[in-house]
Amino acid sequence: MDPLALTRRSFAGLGLGSAAAAASARGALAQAGPSGTGAQPGALAVAPTSQAGLGPRLTLHAIDNAHGTPGAGLVCDLSIRDGDVYRPIKTVTTQANGRPAEPLLVDDALKPGRYELLLHVEAYFAALGVTLPSPNFLGLVPIRFQIRDARQRYHLPVLFTPWGYSYYRGS
Amino acid sequence: MAGISTHVLDTDRGRPAAGVRIDFSVLDGETWRLVKSVVTNADGRTDAPILPASEARTGQYELVFHVGDYFRQRPGTDEADIFIDDPVVRFAIFDAKQHFHVPMLCAPASFTTYRGS
Repeated sequence: MDPLALTRRSFAGLGLGSAAAAASARGALAQAGPSGTGAQPGALAVAPTSQAGLGPRLTLHAIDNAHGTPGAGLVCDLSIRDGDVYRPIKTVTTQANGRPAEPLLVDDALKPGRYELLLHVEAYFAALGVTLPSPNFLGLVPIRFQIRDARQRYHLPVLFTPWGYSYYRGS
Repeated sequence: MAGISTHVLDTDRGRPAAGVRIDFSVLDGETWRLVKSVVTNADGRTDAPILPASEARTGQYELVFHVGDYFRQRPGTDEADIFIDDPVVRFAIFDAKQHFHVPMLCAPASFTTYRGS
């Protein structure tokens, strides 16, 4: 493992991790709010969350670049490649802050492998009342990536619009 | 001109990604049927359109970009840094009269696509 990965992404200490997790939970509560079908996305009310020092995990942050807001209410199906197929693990929905309530995978559940996160992008924009072609250019968007080292922390930001998307290994 | 085209750019190096294999499939019922595999040229494009205008139909299409092999063959890339090695783009042609340019911008840990022109 390279030194940068050790300092930036590996588990730094249980105490620090717990404190940061508690802070993160308060942040999530502060951001909870109405996000109804057909409503406009919520306004940004809080600062970004640092995950530095947390233990091994896979986290997601969805940003709606068409509205300049967190992507709240985005349904995501997580699966892991098993031979020639992707085997479903779980389905999550992002909260008002654009993040699922819990990490996608944490500690022992984080295993090396090839993953796919299927984003229900068309349904997301349809629920917001956005006028789209039928079918939309993007419907179900597969995000593929690999976890090589289960001791590291993986953050997956996804920036999306009805016409494109971007994802990368974040921090 | 209608149809599908692509352009693969290595945003890590700021240049076209040459020699990237792309698998092009169409959704046939419930299964993805491979139509053809092509390889990008020195300009990061394909010599012929992915889908020529004469064959453009409404439907669901898929492009799989085998960028992992490209990054491995590129000098100076650490295997451990390759986070995204076989990104896939699925999209619809909702109007067969329109052209669909679907570029992809790649780096070992980053991927972007959009409807281009």
